[in-house]
Amino acid sequence: MKRIFTSTQLGAIGLLLAWLGVWELASRGAGVSALVLPAPTAVARSLWIGLSTGYLWPHIGATSFELLMGLLAGCLLGFGVGVAMAESARLHRLLKPYIVISQVIPKLALAPLFIVWFGFGMTSTVVITALICFFPLMENTVTGLRTVDPQRLELFRMLGATRCQTLLRLKLPAGLPGILAGLRVAVVLALVGAVVGEFIGASKGLGALIIASQGMMDTPLMFAVLIVIAAIGLLLYQLTLALEKRLLRPYTAIS
Amino acid sequence: MNFLEFNKVGFTYPGWPPVVRNVDWTIAQGEFHCLVGRSGCGKTTWLKLAAGLLQPHTGSVRLQGQPVVAPGPQLGFVFQSPTLLEWHRVIDNVLLPVSLQHKPTAVEIDAAQQLLGLLGLSGHMQHYPRQLSGGQQSRVALARALILKPALLLLDEPFAALDAITRGELQDDLLQICRLHRTTVLFVTHDIAEAVYLGDRVAVMDSGSVVQDIHVQVSKPRLPAMRYSAIFNQHCAQVRNAMDMATV
Repeated sequence: MKRIFTSTQLGAIGLLLAWLGVWELASRGAGVSALVLPAPTAVARSLWIGLSTGYLWPHIGATSFELLMGLLAGCLLGFGVGVAMAESARLHRLLKPYIVISQVIPKLALAPLFIVWFGFGMTSTVVITALICFFPLMENTVTGLRTVDPQRLELFRMLGATRCQTLLRLKLPAGLPGILAGLRVAVVLALVGAVVGEFIGASKGLGALIIASQGMMDTPLMFAVLIVIAAIGLLLYQLTLALEKRLLRPYTAIS
Repeated sequence: MNFLEFNKVGFTYPGWPPVVRNVDWTIAQGEFHCLVGRSGCGKTTWLKLAAGLLQPHTGSVRLQGQPVVAPGPQLGFVFQSPTLLEWHRVIDNVLLPVSLQHKPTAVEIDAAQQLLGLLGLSGHMQHYPRQLSGGQQSRVALARALILKPALLLLDEPFAALDAITRGELQDDLLQICRLHRTTVLFVTHDIAEAVYLGDRVAVMDSGSVVQDIHVQVSKPRLPAMRYSAIFNQHCAQVRNAMDMATV
């Protein structure tokens, strides 16, 4: 019979339960204020109320929307610029210094500027998220397309392939594992971008809700929101992993 | 008539001594020529000149009387490694030269299946390259080079990474297919026995020049048992001597 959980998985679950138990006891017995560390049961209650009354859903919706729009825009742009830079050595030389400079500027530090430019609300958060997603995708696309095995390039040359064919049928598929690894990084960063963007420039969304709960001194709500954010992150990451596994099946297939 | 003709061919990579110097060589239609020499003696460059991947700096390379300016469907090339596209199934890898030109027709798909059958890969057509052994991958690369029925086949140490038994099987398959299609072959190797077993003629190369031209007098078709005959070993010794002399 196939066991549902392995012993390490059981161990991990046990550790979680023990941790929650100690936390619960500490916050109840040790006199720690609920403002500093609410008990897990209080957090769970707050989370349940938020979800069941529908209070949390608009915020989840707003954050998810910003995250997905930013991810989509940033990844498409990063991929496009990456392909262009990999194909044109001249463009690569031209843009390289600017890319390096923009890499070292912390993108989140630009959030206040984006509020000035795009106003208070969704647009600035989407722009911030897109900007953060842009770089890993671009970097990995450039690297993926430029590190194609020279013998395969020679093969395509010998077979009379056009430049477009070489790009579509050799470089992109050969670079796909790297590009997808970039996507995985972008997905994680997108969540950071969306939440932090909302800290600064939004009245709606999970990031704004964290700031609001701080203002209302509702620490259980803050914890509840953190749990929701973690769940969204986990879900997206697992989806990306599944996509990666699906697309890369031929690359890793073993009889 | 000379099928492939090298006329005083020289080639130099910038900043290095010449890799190929003043090479004269002719191959007649349907002949199998081998090129042996130590690593770095210019064998691969010679092959790339024959393919039109490189242009000679002096002299000329002519295929059927025409200068070779660019690679084309008239030639098949097999690299040192199989260079298969791991995201394509075996059958699509074999059909790659066709599918880069147009969508493969039923006749061409059938030809690819026959070729794979001939190479003992009928059961692997729908597999991905990663699922095959090294020897099977080399066979797929060979089938891909042969799918357009090239008049000239160029091979660059294609079996170097294989074990002796697999290599022997592939050598026999290669000879059989080339005899069937009357393909002209130029085969680069550093393995003396391989060169003698496969070749009608063996060119021994050193520092960019041909130092000896050996006509192999072993009867054809070649059979595995001939590898242990006296005449076969005489030829191996002759090639070995030429290589030793060259390095002194």
